[in-house]
Amino acid sequence: MKLLKNWSMVSLLAAVAATSVYAPTATAHGEKSQAAFMRMRTIHWYDLKWSKEVVKVNDTVEISGKFHVFEGWPQTVDAPDSAFLNIGIPGPVFIRKESYIGGQLVPRSVRLEIGKTYDFRVVLKARRPGDWHVHTMMNVQGGGPIIGPGKWITIEGSMSEFKNPLTTLTGQTIDLENYNLENTYFWHAFWYVFGLAWMVYWCRRPVFLPRFLLVNAGRADELVSGTDRKVGMAFAAATMVIVVFAMSTANSKYPITIPLQAGTMRGMKPAAEEKSVVAVKVEDATYRVPGRAMRMKLTMTNNGDKAVRLGEFYTASVRFLNADAYKDTTGYPEDLLAEDGLEVSDNSPLAPGETRTVEVQASDAAWEVYRLADIIYDPDSRFAGLLFFFDADGKRTITQIDAPLIPSFM
Amino acid sequence: MSSLNSAVRSHAEAVSVSRTIDYIGLFVFFFVVCGSYHIHAMLTMGDWDFWSDWKDRRLWVTVTPIVLVTFPAAVQYFLWERFRQPWGATVCVLSLLFGEWINRYFNFWGWTYFPVNFVFPAILVPGAILLDTILLLSASYLFTAIIGAMAWGLIFYPGNWPIIAPLHVPVEYNGMLMSIADIQGYNYVRTGTPEYIRMVEKGTLRTFGKDVAPVSAFFSAFMSTLIYFMWHFVGRWFATVRFIKQS
Ligand SMILES: [Cu+2]
Repeated sequence: MKLLKNWSMVSLLAAVAATSVYAPTATAHGEKSQAAFMRMRTIHWYDLKWSKEVVKVNDTVEISGKFHVFEGWPQTVDAPDSAFLNIGIPGPVFIRKESYIGGQLVPRSVRLEIGKTYDFRVVLKARRPGDWHVHTMMNVQGGGPIIGPGKWITIEGSMSEFKNPLTTLTGQTIDLENYNLENTYFWHAFWYVFGLAWMVYWCRRPVFLPRFLLVNAGRADELVSGTDRKVGMAFAAATMVIVVFAMSTANSKYPITIPLQAGTMRGMKPAAEEKSVVAVKVEDATYRVPGRAMRMKLTMTNNGDKAVRLGEFYTASVRFLNADAYKDTTGYPEDLLAEDGLEVSDNSPLAPGETRTVEVQASDAAWEVYRLADIIYDPDSRFAGLLFFFDADGKRTITQIDAPLIPSFM
Repeated sequence: MSSLNSAVRSHAEAVSVSRTIDYIGLFVFFFVVCGSYHIHAMLTMGDWDFWSDWKDRRLWVTVTPIVLVTFPAAVQYFLWERFRQPWGATVCVLSLLFGEWINRYFNFWGWTYFPVNFVFPAILVPGAILLDTILLLSASYLFTAIIGAMAWGLIFYPGNWPIIAPLHVPVEYNGMLMSIADIQGYNYVRTGTPEYIRMVEKGTLRTFGKDVAPVSAFFSAFMSTLIYFMWHFVGRWFATVRFIKQS
């Protein structure tokens, strides 16, 4: 008996373990653990705007901006032939009302082209109160999630006020928060009770030992009576009749249904890009481990018709700004913004036609915090990023860089 | 058995001991099956059963009965062979559904706030009742494997249609045609489940046009029969009484 009781405990624990092993991911803070080269050399998110930082339940927040699919896409990551514009949040604290790439609604996966820049926009509707870190995110099949910058957004109010209305093509208006819920509970409860009834019918009589002894004694036939058979037939017949009845009722109540919609969407329209007017050659680049700083020697040539200055170096969502040439006013997440983290040895305006070699240093704790420095331990120790140049009117031109990085430990 | 006989002094006491063993046995059986069958279910059909926008008329209909006929086949053998009890399949699906509902209600809804109308499990009892009653009436494993497992596979889609149909009503969503289930999947953000891993409406049955669901169901029924056979032998292996006979 004691053995049986122990086994009861073991079985209960096993059942509990089985029900708790899987829960959908509740955290969205994988940004730091992702390999640095993934963040530097795949998708570059920039010009991001968050419409609000504090919202009430049922209000919407819009995240918009651009992403550039990097030309030097790493070989170890599958090309973005099947990619999904996602959002990194801890569960459905917001619902995704809309998401667009190049103006096209993208509820499904899309094909992106390497080297192109796309406009995107995501509209979220606040559902659950709290402070949430909201990341832009691109999932790439064979590559995993590519996480963009995260910003804290506060939702106020109460989740019980949340509504998600929808109008179907058959003219009903429903609330997705509880649509079909009663019906689901009803049928599950109905069939559960039906199954229990079948078991109860058999388990009212002795279940194990006496029957085991009779079976062993070769008298198994005595264990199933004529009544048992009739009850069995009744259960089988009732099952079929109820299924047919329920199915035809559902069909008459919902005469118009469609299959699930699936399949990759193609032909996303890239944003019109202006050709970069500043050519940049990376002469060499080193990362100084103790100083948490990257130093690079750049040879820049201005092929445009206006003088420009280097204002920003962007890599893996971290922005190093040269405060003299450019200031951020978008409310970019502070931990990812080095407002004066970019030193340029000579940042006087680079005149049209002029070529100049400068030393540039990008330093900030973000190298450590966001583990970007780990790039030096990657099998292909290259870094990549975007350089933003500005002319006197604030007009911008973007140049992409991609070069090997040498660590320095002194 | 001699130790048991000596522990009880009267017929009434023997009956009461036997009944206690029944209850504890049923309890243990229910939760052992719940634990192992549920893990098996999550590893094999996983997302197909978690989300309404995976419950399609091709793959979900095909995969679910095939991977779930396993435990019922083995347990039916054990309970019928040793005890002449015809509720092996039913106890399996009831314990599985118990575990699934706890998981969906407390983890998916209570912890992560996915609406239950998006994460409910599939209905499985009709198929289990047919498997059990067919075994009872035919008293033949072969017949149960062929006709019973067939019925198990075939009744799955119609059995679930009453809760699936309302989710397949069409909606025009910002200029695109989507079913309500598709919109659930789009609205209720799954950061860890990107859309492209959704395995729905794929396969080689396209030539059947609108009638894919019955074709998928027949294929599933056929495969269920094969898997039933395999797991019947798993049941035989587990239900051996060799060690009892030795002692
Ligand atoms: Cu985060």
